[in-house]
Amino acid sequence: MLENEATLEIQHLVSEFKPGDGDLLAALHKVQHHYGYVPKIAMRVVARQLRLSEARVYGAATFYSEFRLIPPPRTLVGWCSGPACRFKGGEHVRKALEAELGIGMGENTGDDKLGLHLAQCNGTCEHAPQIWVDGKVVGPLDAAKTVRLARELKEQP
Amino acid sequence: MARVKLNGHEIDVADGAPLVEVIKRAGVWISHLCYIDGLPPYAGCRSCLVAIEGARGLQLACTTKVADGMVVETETPEVKEMRQSVVAIINANHSDRCLTCHRRVKCMPGDICLRDDVVTHRCVTCSKNYRCELQTTNELLDMGFENVEPWVGEPRTYYQHAVPEPDRANPWLEFDPQMCIICTRCVRACDEIRHTGAITLAGRGFPTRIAFGAGGRVDESNCDFCGACIDVCPTATLMEKPNKWIARTEDWISTTCNSCSVGCTISIGTRDGRAVIVKPDRVNPVSADQVCVRGRFHYDAIPEKKRLQRHYVRRGPAGSAQFPAHWGELVEFAASRIKDVVSAHGAAAVGVLGSPFNTNEENYLAQKLARDVIGTPHVDSSGAAPDRAAARAIEAAFGTQALPSDMITLGRSDVVVVIADDLESSHNVAALRIKDAIVGNPLAPRNGKLVLVSALRGEMADFAEPYGGAWLRPRPGGEAAVADWLAKRARGEQAPSPALASGEIAGATAALDAAKDPAKTVSVVFATPRFDARAAAEGAKAAANLAIALRGERAAESLYILPAEANMNGMRDMGVEPRDGGMDAGAMLDAAASGALKALVVVGDNPLMFAPYRARTERALASLDALIVIDSELTDTAKLAHALFADVGTYAKAGTYSNAERRVNRLHAAQQAPGDARPALLALTDLANAVGGADTWAYAHPDDVTDEIAGRVPGYDRFRASFGMWGKARISSPATRSEVQSVAEGAMPERDGSMLLTAGRTLYTSIEGAAVHSPDADKLHREEFVEVHPADAAALRVSGGDEVTLVSPHGELTLRCMISGRVLEGVVFVPAYHDGGAVTSLLHGDGAAVAVQVKVRTPA
Repeated sequence: MLENEATLEIQHLVSEFKPGDGDLLAALHKVQHHYGYVPKIAMRVVARQLRLSEARVYGAATFYSEFRLIPPPRTLVGWCSGPACRFKGGEHVRKALEAELGIGMGENTGDDKLGLHLAQCNGTCEHAPQIWVDGKVVGPLDAAKTVRLARELKEQP
Repeated sequence: MARVKLNGHEIDVADGAPLVEVIKRAGVWISHLCYIDGLPPYAGCRSCLVAIEGARGLQLACTTKVADGMVVETETPEVKEMRQSVVAIINANHSDRCLTCHRRVKCMPGDICLRDDVVTHRCVTCSKNYRCELQTTNELLDMGFENVEPWVGEPRTYYQHAVPEPDRANPWLEFDPQMCIICTRCVRACDEIRHTGAITLAGRGFPTRIAFGAGGRVDESNCDFCGACIDVCPTATLMEKPNKWIARTEDWISTTCNSCSVGCTISIGTRDGRAVIVKPDRVNPVSADQVCVRGRFHYDAIPEKKRLQRHYVRRGPAGSAQFPAHWGELVEFAASRIKDVVSAHGAAAVGVLGSPFNTNEENYLAQKLARDVIGTPHVDSSGAAPDRAAARAIEAAFGTQALPSDMITLGRSDVVVVIADDLESSHNVAALRIKDAIVGNPLAPRNGKLVLVSALRGEMADFAEPYGGAWLRPRPGGEAAVADWLAKRARGEQAPSPALASGEIAGATAALDAAKDPAKTVSVVFATPRFDARAAAEGAKAAANLAIALRGERAAESLYILPAEANMNGMRDMGVEPRDGGMDAGAMLDAAASGALKALVVVGDNPLMFAPYRARTERALASLDALIVIDSELTDTAKLAHALFADVGTYAKAGTYSNAERRVNRLHAAQQAPGDARPALLALTDLANAVGGADTWAYAHPDDVTDEIAGRVPGYDRFRASFGMWGKARISSPATRSEVQSVAEGAMPERDGSMLLTAGRTLYTSIEGAAVHSPDADKLHREEFVEVHPADAAALRVSGGDEVTLVSPHGELTLRCMISGRVLEGVVFVPAYHDGGAVTSLLHGDGAAVAVQVKVRTPA
C-alpha cells in the first residue's frame, strides 16, 4: 500500500494500538469517531497496524451495526426496533420511511442528505412508535405522520 | 489406540482422533459440509450427526474425539432423519432446482429446459451440477422431494431475497454468493491452511455472507488465487472460472507442475483429450493438497490453437519465410544442415541447448545427440548460468550438489533463514511451507522464526518481524554480504555490521542464537537469482556458510537451494552443462556471433527470452548456418529457425522432472498433442538416426530413455520406468565436508542519476504466454510494469501507468510504470519474463547488475 495524506492521517490516528485483535474494536471506534464512519482505506491501515488481514477487519466492522462503512448523512434518521415500538406498529413506520425516502436500512439517499439506520430501544417507550431525527425522539407516529415528516425532511435545505 | 465399534464393525483407530475422520477413513460415508480434515471443527453445518451409545441425544462427529469402547451408529433411522432435517434447513436458503427437477438426470448443460422452471433457477445454470458436494450429500442422504422442500407451499428464504451479484471480474476465481451455505470452509482454508486471510464472514445473523478483503471484488483483496478455497467449497460459490462448464472430467492424470522447482504434483482433469481443470495431487509429500495460481491455472495459459501444430522449414536466407514441412522432409533437411556444418567446420562448430522445462529424458537425449552422435562438447542451456554457479559453490562447500535436505522438513522448522527476492512469487508452495513453520494451524500452532534477507518487499516480510523474526533489507546485490555477516557472527567472528536499508539486526541475531540449540530444526533457504551468476554463487556460498555456522557437520541437511526453473537440477544431472572443455551458453552465443559456431540445436530452449544481453543473442542467432529448434510454441527463437519441429506442451509429455531437492517426479501425458505436433523425444531420435545413420538410436517409448538414464546417470539407478514410488524418493548424497568459503563483496554499478535494474520471477506471468508475447501472459495485468519507488517517481514526475523507457548500455525497453512500495529508492524492478523476456535486452552478457537511465516520454 502506498502512503498518501489520507493513509498517513489514519496511521497517526491508530498508531497507539498494538498488534493483535485485542485493540481492533478500539481502533475502529477511533477511526469512526474521527471521520464519522470507517472508510475503506482505514480498514487497510488498521489491518496493517494491527497485523491482521484486511478481511478480518472488514468482518469485525460489518458484524457490529455501530460501525458505518459509508459517510454519515447530514440528517440521520434512526428507526427504533424495540419491542414496544413494534407492538404499537413500528413496522408501518419503517415501511413508510423506506418507501418515502427510497432507501433501506443502513443506506443514505444519493445526495447523502438523509440516512436511515436501525436503532435499539432507548427506553423512551412512552413515545412509541418513534423515530429519532439526529438523536431527537419524534413520536408517537403513524404511517401518515411518518410520510409527512419524511417529506419535510426531504425538503429541508 | 482405541477400539471403536462403527455400525457393528470393530475398528482400531488412534485415540483422540476426530470421529468424522475416523468414519471417513473406515470407508463409511457421512455428510459433513463444514469440516476440513486436519483443522479444528467448526460445527456449523450440523450435518454429521451420529448416535453414540451412552451419549445424550445425537452427537456431532466432527467435535467428538474417539475413545476406547465407543459404539457409533451412522445409519439408524433416527440419525438419518435428523441429518435429513438439518440438510433441509440448509437447502431452504440454497438454489434447489438441481435437486427437485424430476427429469434432471436426462438433461445436459445447454439443453433447453422442458419444464416451467424460470431460467435462472434451472439446474443447468449451476456449473457445479453433478460435481457438487451439497448435491451429492442430498443424494446420499436420500433427500426425497418431501425433505428438500419440507414446507411445501410456504415461501422459502432463497426466493425471498434478492440474488446477490456474482463476482466474475477476475480470470480465475468466480465468486457467486447466492450459492453460499456459510460453511466457512473457505474462510478457514484461506486463513489456516494458506495463511493469507483474504476471506471473512461479513455481517451478522441471517444476512451473514462471505466477503473478500474489505468487501470489494476478489481481485481487489489480497487473494493470491491459489484456489485452496475452491477445493474446499461444497457448493458452486467458489469455482474455477476457466472451463467451468466443461470441467466434468472423463479422466484424471497425475503429472508435475512445470512452473517452479518445488515440483508440485498436480492432477489434471481432462475431457476429450483437453485439460479442463487442475487439482492438487496429495501423492506429493511437499505440496500435498496445495498448489499456487500457476499450478492451478497456467495449464491453459495459451489456447491450444496458439501452440505449434505443424512443422516448419526455412530454406531461404535469414529473414525469409518459414514454410510448413512434412516430418520426414524436415528431419532430412535438419540432418543435412548439421552434417554440412560438421563436414565444413568440424563437429565443434555445432552447439546444443537444452532447457529446464524439458523432461530429464529430453535433456538426456539432447546431450547424447551432441556428445555421441554429432560429437560436440558444447551443451548448455541459455538461462542456466546462475543455477550452475550456485551448484558449484555448494559442491565446493559440501562435496555434493545433491544435498540431503528434504523440503518436508521446511514446515517443521523452528528457525528459517530465507535469502531470496520474493519467495512467495518465485516458489509459492515452498513459501507456504515456511509460513506453516512460522504460524502452523490452530490444531498444531507453531512458533517458528523467520529471518528474511531480501531487497524486495514480498509477502514473506509479513511473516518475519511480526512473528519475532527479522527482515534484513539490504540494497540489491547486498544479500550475500548480509547472510555472510550472519554466518560470521554465528561463528563468533568480529565483523563490521552489513549495510542495510532497513531491518532490525537484533531480531535476526536473537533468532539465530536460538537456532544454535541442536534440538531446534533450522532451515536455510536460498532461491537463486534469475540472471546474475556471480550473485548466485556468492549467495549460495553465504547460505552454505550460514548453515555450517548454525549446524556444523549437519549443515547440508538444513540447506535448501531452490533453482529458478522446474527441472534445472535434473537438466544438469542429465549432462546439459558444459563438460570436457565445452562452451557454456554465453560463450556459444559469442562464438556464433563471431562466426566460430555455425549450427545450434535448440531443444525447448529460448535464448532470446532467457539469455541476458539480447542484442548479442540476436546477432548470434542471425549468423548461424543452421538453427534447429524443437519447441511447442512459436517463440522468438523458433521464428528464426531453419528447421522447426513442433513439440507438444509439458502436460502432453511423459517423463520425469527432478525438483529443487532432487525429488524425482513423474510426468504423464494428460493432453492430446495438437495437430501434427510430436513429442521432442521423437524429433531427437529421428534427428540422431538421420545424422548418425539409421539404427543409431532405437527408443520406442519414453520409458526406454528413462531406463537408460537409470543405467547411466549417477544417482538415478532407482528410477527405472517401472519405479513405483514417484514423488516419494529423492536423489541425495551425504556431505563429505563442510567448508566455509569466503564471500566476495559485489561491486554495484555507480548510481549517478541512474537506477539499479533488478528483475525476477513474478507470481502471475505465465512463461508459455510470455514466450509468445501473449497480451494475456499475465491475465490479471498486474505485472506488465516496471516498478518504481514513490520518491523516484516524484523526482521523475511520472505517475502510475505512464510510459517510461529504460536505457542501459545494451539496449532500451519501453513499458508502463507502477509506483510501488516493493522496491527501494533508486531501484527499479522489471518482471523477468514479461513480454518474451524483454528485460534481457538491458542486461550485461553475464547477467550482472546494471544501471539504467529512466526516460520519461513527454507527451507530444
